[in-house]
Amino acid sequence: MKPVAFEYERPADIRSALALIGRNGPITKILAGGQSLGPMLNLRLVRPELVVDITRIPQLKSVEQSADAITVGACVTHADIEDGRVPDVTQGALPSVARNIAYRAVRNRGTLGGSLAHADPAADWVSALAAIGAVALIASSTGQRAIAVEDLMSGVFETVLGQAEILEAIRIPRLSVRARWGYYKISRKTGEFAHAIGAVLDDPERGVCRAVIGAIEAKPIVLADARPLFRNRVGADLEASFDMEVAEDLLRSAGLADPVVRQIHLAALRRAATKASHGHRLHHH
Amino acid sequence: MATVSITINGIGVEAEVEARTHLADFIREHRNLTGTHLGCEHGVCGACTVLIDGAPARSCITYAVACDGASITTVEGLEDDVSAELRDAFSREHALQCGYCTPGMLVSARDAVLRLPEPDDREIRVLLSGNLCRCTGYVGIVRAVKSVVADRRARGIAPADASGNPLGPVGSAHPAGRLTGGARGGRTTHVSAPLAVSARRDSRPLEEWRPQVTIEQRFIVHHPPEVVWAFLGRPEEVAACLPGAKLVGTPTENYIEGLLRVRAGPIAAEFAGSAEIERDVSHYAGMIRGRGKDNRSGSATRGEIAYKLSPEAGGGATRVDVTVGYTLTGMLAQFSRSGLIRDVANRLTAAFATNLEARLANGSLNQLPPVSAAELNVVTLVMSVVRDRIGRLLRRMLGQRKGT
Amino acid sequence: MAAQGVGASVLRKEDDRFLKGRGQFVADIRLAGMKEVSFVRSPLAHAKIIGETIPDEDRPSVFVATDLRSVKPIRANSGLPGFKSSDQPVLAHDKVRYVGELLAACVAPTRAEAEDLGERVAFDFDELPAVHDMLQARRSGTALLHEHWGDNVFLETFVDVNIEAAFDAPVKVTREIRTARQCMAPIEGRGAVAVWDHRLGQLTLYTSAQMPHINRTGLSECLGIDHGQVRVVAPDVGGGFGYKGILLAEEVCLGWLAMRLGHPVRWIEDRREHLTANANCREHHYIITGYADRDGRLRGIDCEATVDSGAYSAYPFSACLEAAQVASILPGPYDFPSYRCRTWSAATNKCPILPYRGVARTGVCFALELVLDAIAREAGLEPAEVRARNLVRPEQMPFDNITKKHFDSGDYPESLRRAVAAIDLAGVRERQKRGEVDGRRIGLGMSIYCEQAAHGTSVYAGWGIPMVPGYEQATARVTPDGGLELRVGIQSHGQSLETTLAQVANEILGIDIAKIKVVHGDTEYTPYSTGTWGSRCIVMAGGAVARASQEIAERLRVIGANLLQADPEAVTLKGGQLVGPQAAVSIGEIARTWYLRPQDLPYGVHTGGLEATVGYRPERDSGTFSYATHAAVVAVDPEIGEVEILDYVVIEDGGKLINPMVVEGQIYGGLAQGIGTALYEEMPFDASGQPLASTFSDYLLPGPTEVPAARIDHMETLSPYTVFGQKGLGEGGAIAPPAAIANAVNDALSGLAVEITQSPITPRRVLEAIGAHTIERASAPGGQAR
Repeated sequence: MKPVAFEYERPADIRSALALIGRNGPITKILAGGQSLGPMLNLRLVRPELVVDITRIPQLKSVEQSADAITVGACVTHADIEDGRVPDVTQGALPSVARNIAYRAVRNRGTLGGSLAHADPAADWVSALAAIGAVALIASSTGQRAIAVEDLMSGVFETVLGQAEILEAIRIPRLSVRARWGYYKISRKTGEFAHAIGAVLDDPERGVCRAVIGAIEAKPIVLADARPLFRNRVGADLEASFDMEVAEDLLRSAGLADPVVRQIHLAALRRAATKASHGHRLHHH
Repeated sequence: MATVSITINGIGVEAEVEARTHLADFIREHRNLTGTHLGCEHGVCGACTVLIDGAPARSCITYAVACDGASITTVEGLEDDVSAELRDAFSREHALQCGYCTPGMLVSARDAVLRLPEPDDREIRVLLSGNLCRCTGYVGIVRAVKSVVADRRARGIAPADASGNPLGPVGSAHPAGRLTGGARGGRTTHVSAPLAVSARRDSRPLEEWRPQVTIEQRFIVHHPPEVVWAFLGRPEEVAACLPGAKLVGTPTENYIEGLLRVRAGPIAAEFAGSAEIERDVSHYAGMIRGRGKDNRSGSATRGEIAYKLSPEAGGGATRVDVTVGYTLTGMLAQFSRSGLIRDVANRLTAAFATNLEARLANGSLNQLPPVSAAELNVVTLVMSVVRDRIGRLLRRMLGQRKGT
Repeated sequence: MAAQGVGASVLRKEDDRFLKGRGQFVADIRLAGMKEVSFVRSPLAHAKIIGETIPDEDRPSVFVATDLRSVKPIRANSGLPGFKSSDQPVLAHDKVRYVGELLAACVAPTRAEAEDLGERVAFDFDELPAVHDMLQARRSGTALLHEHWGDNVFLETFVDVNIEAAFDAPVKVTREIRTARQCMAPIEGRGAVAVWDHRLGQLTLYTSAQMPHINRTGLSECLGIDHGQVRVVAPDVGGGFGYKGILLAEEVCLGWLAMRLGHPVRWIEDRREHLTANANCREHHYIITGYADRDGRLRGIDCEATVDSGAYSAYPFSACLEAAQVASILPGPYDFPSYRCRTWSAATNKCPILPYRGVARTGVCFALELVLDAIAREAGLEPAEVRARNLVRPEQMPFDNITKKHFDSGDYPESLRRAVAAIDLAGVRERQKRGEVDGRRIGLGMSIYCEQAAHGTSVYAGWGIPMVPGYEQATARVTPDGGLELRVGIQSHGQSLETTLAQVANEILGIDIAKIKVVHGDTEYTPYSTGTWGSRCIVMAGGAVARASQEIAERLRVIGANLLQADPEAVTLKGGQLVGPQAAVSIGEIARTWYLRPQDLPYGVHTGGLEATVGYRPERDSGTFSYATHAAVVAVDPEIGEVEILDYVVIEDGGKLINPMVVEGQIYGGLAQGIGTALYEEMPFDASGQPLASTFSDYLLPGPTEVPAARIDHMETLSPYTVFGQKGLGEGGAIAPPAAIANAVNDALSGLAVEITQSPITPRRVLEAIGAHTIERASAPGGQAR
């Protein structure tokens, strides 16, 4: 199938982009790398009247480092992270996630911001960036606002982004050298969308212990304080102190009624904890 | 139509294209370079993989207009020594049979040879995992790639360094500017004439039909059953509780026609249809049976909403039990991730219950707030409930642990 | 010149154009004035059509059933007694019977605009209850697809060979076994370009097809025009696997449109159309009982098998080929005394079933081999022992089995012995005792099949379908420069026949294969043939090319002897030369003389010249029987249900291998598809008959990381009935893997008393079988994570 006819604009800067999407008229869709939107357009599931391509806006492809974070433009690609073109402040965590997103040809065009804004619950960045404690910077004609990535997605394919807003950048915290990260994705084959994602970040120096249960066909479950998951014994062997019952209760509370689904999510989370425990930062499933 | 300038296999091309024309169609239909193949047009199979500014990318989900200023290399233009070595190796190792996936496979294989330092079989397979081959079982392909890499490394050719590449999607590293002539489509997206309303009766008894998905909700409203009953007897009030619903024409007590607009992020469908209403006052029970279709996607839905009122708190309040059952057919039904559709239906049902409760609880049933806002808020609403539950659970766990 | 003849792993002649992106597939064909066609398809599985709404301005570009009144429906009857006939309309009228059935054709300058048109066409339906499952179809009281039938069964068959004698066997196991509906999913879908040539008064249909002559016959019948008015060209075809061995309603419609509109039209199937409208193979259900003695000797097999045949009988193989074959091939490579099998070809609201690589064999191998393992477990025997005890022995060959299949040759037990050694059965059993540090469970499974291939007239006359293969013909023509043209009616789409048929001619004539051109896939240039199916090409077309080459060799000898002034009996062809007692002359020189210097030859030397069309049919055409033992070692992760193939061995006997490299390619490719059947591929349908996958993200094909580098070992037991002793084997790789892998999974899970009897073996099926909620979660530290 081919897409419905649409108009296409390619603004050179954010201000023009905001002006285009702020118009009260055509059904408008923002296009970044288009690796998720493209298939939906081709299937005519998405039927925009106007597509605004934001990938030529230099600001959205820029990177800014500070002492405690790096701010990455929304149009930076998975491959940019994978290849280290964006300096890594996460002790290898994010490059290892990037490396296992879809396929290389997709990673060369797929973007961080596009992935977050698309809000497919099975997408890696939705879970991984929430686990790492990243912040989404959102531009509108009236200014910029910042919200935690975990608050960006509101449901399947839904975010809190308003019609006149653009996800501009993602601020990723600099992890301490002692930070421990575990990420485990369950897919039936390489590059397939995830059926379960578990992510664990323990960074005691910064007082952070977070966990995410993702790919639950809804917004991921984010534990900003994941200590109960480890019997409140942070700093210990995360694998040994992992509390299956707490995790199971979480899944039930989130409405995951199917025992098979709960089982694989539990496994993903526990394996993420194990990876974090063993410091397997550079090993991937 | 927009005018784009693209360099294809080293030759600059200016052409008029529709914005919706993807790069693969542009290459094939406009430039007659048919070596780039389409195998799915969903970005999964990899047959259409080409080089955009030197890096592999899917030409089926990249639009030609987005490649303005970029340099494209297709299989016909792969003329470097790596490609020549790969061609020999593919033939030697019987890495192709029907040849359909081969052009895209070569592009990815070239990427593997150039970038992987000393790959084992697994690394090669992972790198090629975005290219499906239905004929060879991949054995020859992996051998071919492995032999070319080994040979090149033995000759002292180091892997390529991509660290200096510009950031952002490949093909986007060119000045933005406006497209020549603007990108206005020759036609505008239209919503066609009023959708045909298909309100035919089913040719079999209703009881034969069973919904495929059933969702139950229960809530209490602080009005006596007779008030709630009367409210539910007014179709326009009931419709107003359903996000995205709009009545068409004049409803009667037992027949309505209307539209239901359903959204899941960027996906939107508009079901036009009708419903029949049955009410049994002796049991305070009602049934709404409806069906509608979205002509553009060829999708249709059929559903029923059953409700039953029971007195609560000595008759001052009412318990409403609502059961929504539906079946979806056509394009929107034909995906494996039915959980996503179910999530939307769940949210709709929850919103219906919430709105009904809100409108009834409002006290002044004749002056009701507009409901349209609910359409966007459904998700937040449901998720906030879940989040609260999880939050409570965690606080409890924390508290417990601290207490012990 | 290095050896290029039979048995040489020469590189492929077809590679060069594909590697340079210069193949010519149907979507690559653009003709002047051509327009694109998009079809409006049924969104419902079963419904009455009440009417359609087409905007007036679009009416000239939209074609519906009433426009095609002159076109006959597609009909494929079987001669088997009791078969019920179905008519498949080219565009549906009155009723739709599956999701994806054609309703209207929309014609526009581009595909996108044709799709825009389609969105403006609306059909109204009265929905009917869908028959979404083959067992439901068989129950009385179910909605009827073809009302006048009175039920939903195309055909029921029954065979009973003394089954009562098995009833007192001490070991008896019964299993219910099911295989999923699949899509064949060649990476290139189907598609067609149709053009009417006024000068020739001929319709040319370029189509992605593997049986072009059959398409031509079908088109001629449906369109009501002479064969001479139809030319079918199958250009480069991007994989077939059976999917392209059918007459499509789309092809008939395109032909009609080209005739009606006077300009070329093109339709290219897209992936969504393929997945949602053409999931047309493999769906079987078995209730099967194996009877055996304590030592594992089989006493009998008793089976009830149902095949989901879909809504119509597809042309030319019919709706019942699959189920009827189940009954005849279920006994596999084994020798046992009692057998009973009843089969049903059930009509359902799904697309018509087609034979997919392996046809019924993949299903029956799955059913029978799972039962053999169940017997082994029941009797406490090693599964390999049970097989060894029951395989037909080499000294019994040729062997007529319980269903009168005539196994031509082979040493089945030897392939089993080699597989047991290659997979290191003893080593795996040791490893299983030790257990795995990562908590996974290891299992070993095997399966054996024999594959009847290239079966001809005597077999197909019995099925009575519209197409019965007879003599396969080939034309060989020496060109004036000493090259050779071979014209064959089959179609090569990955099987490498442009190379292997050249090797066959080279074996006989010694002409360099670089100078041998194989012409195929075009009805205008090639002799009539039923085409490429049933693993028949290397036996039938290979045989025909051999015979035609021999005829040419004879003529070269006669003509060339004149040039050598020798007795024709005293000259021989060697290395592309005719060698006489005193001198030699090249084939090129003979050809040049024949064509361009006839004055150098006496009158009447050989009036046939250097072009010959010769037919070939093996004296005994009951088919060749290649066979193989597959052995798999898998690791099952009981926590997430994931199955990983750790090792895979194939011991194959394809008789004389014309090109071993090509043979291995066929085995590897078949194996990948078999792994898809075993672990990934499934088109689920909901209760209203909706297919639930429409992209390759929903319908999973095995990719590079899902297919292991299997180890292949060859045996070469020659077939006594074919020219070189070669056997057909193109399908075999796809037959055994589901059974071998399922047996391996069941072996891995045997400690949990769990058995999986349904394919594909998805993580969900594994976890549900184990009982997700009962799994012990407190595994040791360092346990599951990998």
